[in-house]
Amino acid sequence: MELQLGLALPTPNMVKGFDLNNHGLDQLKEMGGLEAWNKAAGCFADKDCVKSKRSFEQAFGNFTEECRTKPLLLWSGQPNEEEDHKDQKKATFSTTDENDAEEDDQVVGWPPIKTWRKKIFQQQQQQPRVGRAENNRVAENENGRSIYIKVKMEGVAITRKIDIKLYQSYQSLTNSLITMFAKDKKCDEDDYILTYQDKEGDWLIAGDIPWQNFVRSVQRMEIVRNWG
Amino acid sequence: MQKEMAYSFPDEVLKHVFSFIQSDKDRNAVSLVCKSWYEIERWCRRKVFIGNCYAVSPRMVIRRFPEVRSIELKGKPHFADFNLVPDGWGGYVLQWIAEMAGAYPWLGEIRLKRMVVTDESLELIAKSFKNFKVLVLFSCEGFSTDGLAAIAASCKNLRELDLRESEVDDLSGHWLAQFPETCTSLVSLNISCLGSDEVSFSALERLVDRCPNLRSLQLNRAVTLDKIANILRRAPQLVDFGTGNYAAELQPDVFSNLAGAFSSCKELKSLSGFWDVVPAYLPALYSICPRLTSLNLSYATIQSPDLIKLVSHCPRLQRLLFLIQVLDYVEDSGLEELASSCKDLQELRVFPSDPFGVEPNVSLTEQGLVAVSLGCPKLQSVLYFCRRMSNAALVTIAQNCPNLTRFRLCIIEPKTPDYLTLDPLDAGFGAIVEHCKDLRRLSLSGLLTDHVFEYIGTYGKKLEMLSVAFAGDSDLGLHHVLSGCESLRKLEIRDCPFGDKALLANAAKLETMRSLWMSSCAVSFGACKLLGQKMPKLNVEVIDETEPPDSRPESYPVDKLYIYKSVAGPRFDMPPFVWSMDEAVKILH
Repeated sequence: MELQLGLALPTPNMVKGFDLNNHGLDQLKEMGGLEAWNKAAGCFADKDCVKSKRSFEQAFGNFTEECRTKPLLLWSGQPNEEEDHKDQKKATFSTTDENDAEEDDQVVGWPPIKTWRKKIFQQQQQQPRVGRAENNRVAENENGRSIYIKVKMEGVAITRKIDIKLYQSYQSLTNSLITMFAKDKKCDEDDYILTYQDKEGDWLIAGDIPWQNFVRSVQRMEIVRNWG
Repeated sequence: MQKEMAYSFPDEVLKHVFSFIQSDKDRNAVSLVCKSWYEIERWCRRKVFIGNCYAVSPRMVIRRFPEVRSIELKGKPHFADFNLVPDGWGGYVLQWIAEMAGAYPWLGEIRLKRMVVTDESLELIAKSFKNFKVLVLFSCEGFSTDGLAAIAASCKNLRELDLRESEVDDLSGHWLAQFPETCTSLVSLNISCLGSDEVSFSALERLVDRCPNLRSLQLNRAVTLDKIANILRRAPQLVDFGTGNYAAELQPDVFSNLAGAFSSCKELKSLSGFWDVVPAYLPALYSICPRLTSLNLSYATIQSPDLIKLVSHCPRLQRLLFLIQVLDYVEDSGLEELASSCKDLQELRVFPSDPFGVEPNVSLTEQGLVAVSLGCPKLQSVLYFCRRMSNAALVTIAQNCPNLTRFRLCIIEPKTPDYLTLDPLDAGFGAIVEHCKDLRRLSLSGLLTDHVFEYIGTYGKKLEMLSVAFAGDSDLGLHHVLSGCESLRKLEIRDCPFGDKALLANAAKLETMRSLWMSSCAVSFGACKLLGQKMPKLNVEVIDETEPPDSRPESYPVDKLYIYKSVAGPRFDMPPFVWSMDEAVKILH
């Protein structure tokens, strides 16, 4: 159970904590019932407001009358305007979309299955691999859909993951990486080199081989300082 | 005269009495009785649990409880498990370790959940705490085997090292060899999350050999079946064992060696692991099945009659985690068999093997769960993934299992109605909350209107955690929950049409909860700002990875919202995509 934070605003739970004999609960009942606490949609700042029992509609209608403090919300009862948040664009290199590797129109985080469990499913759906469990390629689907690669930047604690299939060229990749890591580290583009580890385990500088070969070969990437 | 006597106990007596009080809730109550009890209690509190690492600062904890020996911290919100919390959000443990290194030289136990733990943090633990005994990193990330090597090398009396579900940068298997030869104190070791092939098996064998008190051992997938016998023969005292890979070509001598090794473990009660099961090796377990109380087969991707047969050998099973592989035999009847043989079952978890499959391919339906509810009257905890459900089935389950404390149902396709009547599943979930009076945790799914929340608000008086997705019609739904659920501590909501009204009207309620998560809902930026300004005891954080929320109109909904009570004020480690609504915080990004 939690550390009590000693909140000032009395609540049914808090009162129980005070008195092991539930005396506090009796007090609450005298004040107008637990329902008063539950249903009062009142001022959060003024305790006296919450004594009267009000329904949801009443609370909003009588908001200004019954509360001494200024209400946060004046609701005239007009129907909701449908908020249109379909325009919200998600960054293509969002670090959250790690595991919707099967289909592009997957809802993020649904069904609610933990990341490592999803990896097991994905590995099972591919050719069974004897022995080597690859944890550099975070998730790979051989149908040519997303391939997730870990990207580390020197000096940044958190490793990111990107879907290499979203890019068509080294330029588009580096542009995205700059934008992504600029949040973590203010840096000049020229100070850093993009390196990658290939299938043989060797670390190479990105850009020497054709893009498609790179995509097939890259296991993980690291952005390192350019000392040259 | 009698009153005076009550207060005339010397501190040592009270201290002694308090030492019998272990639960945090009781200790908190004790500390509220009077000033002197507060003082005495705080000096003798040894164990602290902090459910949200940002609710309080390390300094505040240290100031109040100067003699802590054991700490438990939780970081990221639960929805981080499903990738809804972006990388870099927070939950760093380093500052905690750094402050405790100075204040608690005798700290012996650290348990972390969903926190970012770096190698630096692990190295600091290794060198700061001379009596370090227990390290549990549950669902953590940010560290590598280098950090583990530091722990292994320095912690002379390490009893427990549990890395369950953590993401570890596996650089080398040789960290295990860092445990000195003098380390014989291990009781529990869980390395099941490690990915590498290169677990130094010889180091592991030697470690197991010299730790006679080892009770719990979870291997990782890289450990092959033929190695299991070696390990078990060195640790016949094991109570809890997780195999690695359970696949190999069937060879009679390997089989009999394995069966013999298992049968020599007379205390073994709990099994897990079982990656890549080859059914022919399952009978090697039959000798221990009658004793098993817990079985986790949720990685065992081969489902077959052999596996069900295994379960039916386990009449004392209390906890069963199952992966249902949808193949050509009927999983519902498998659960029916389970229901007839495992009468003591308390916890059931059924995971989908093909969660993203488009076609239903249904062999597992609501019938399986109904059967278990009928056959297992002690059922308390359910996590069930399926593709169809009916109100009738839910009502039956509710009536059969009034002792349910945790009920999490995930119907894979969002907004799926009752498959028989095409109605919303309000009545079904309503029955769950009505009949299961001790229900503490509930996860909803399927087609749901505001009515389900009315039921939940009316009956869910003991409900502490509620997860909601793709449900409800209007703010009324959220209002029912916030105003009705007295015990609510954690509420997490995604993709529901809940906006400002219910949230603002019930703002005071938020101060009584640990946290509220809302993503892809309809809460406006303006409302978030208002909450942040008016509620100083809350941290109101808006998460948006695309652009700053104030670059859009105030009426525009925020992408993700995380609100939690805190006495520490706004946090200092927010990444650029997290905005605090606290008025005092200048937006620097």
